[in-house]
Amino acid sequence: MTESDFEIAERLSRRRARLMPVLAILFLSGQAIYAVGPDDPSRAVDQLKVAAWLLWASALLFLLAAGGGAFRGKRVRALMDDEATRAHRGRAYAVGFWLAVGSAVCIYALTAFDRVMPREAIHIIVTAAIAGALLTFGFLERRAQRDG
Amino acid sequence: MAEGLGNRLRDLRSERGLTQAALAEMAGVSRKTINTVENGVFVPSALLALKLARVLSCPVEAIFWLENGA
Repeated sequence: MTESDFEIAERLSRRRARLMPVLAILFLSGQAIYAVGPDDPSRAVDQLKVAAWLLWASALLFLLAAGGGAFRGKRVRALMDDEATRAHRGRAYAVGFWLAVGSAVCIYALTAFDRVMPREAIHIIVTAAIAGALLTFGFLERRAQRDG
Repeated sequence: MAEGLGNRLRDLRSERGLTQAALAEMAGVSRKTINTVENGVFVPSALLALKLARVLSCPVEAIFWLENGA
């Protein structure tokens, strides 16, 4: 029996809602490797770490911004990105924005006592914003999918 | 006083023997959108409210109304 567009969209939406918080937690826990060990931009291993983080952060941002169902039909994409989903994404962006501003203010205050490298500051701000937005989106989507 | 949007979408849907999924499919939205509207978590756009009214064959005022200070 073949699935209808509606059933495909439902299945993919549920999967996306389950995946987002998991990815956010993996992303956050993966930051531990950036907090330990020497940080020397001239070392190849550190350059690789920076490139990996950039790639990871960009991929997560794309996942959040894209409606999903990229390889499915127009109707599946529309169902996966209907108005409740767009509202959830909007709230997730807002949470990400406030986390970015909050962490930037904290870092700014921290510079009064300690030196913070620009790359470290950007890393913390972007990580907080992306992880917060993903967690929020995942939470809202899962709550919405619970049977009422 | 803050205004909210009341609705009797769940009752109207049940009266017509429709599941959330069936209503969602007829209105062209996901089931979670219907679920969040029924639970009052999500305020639908005018477009969706009108689509739901058309699918349920009733005026939009029969589904939604302003609560508190309306």
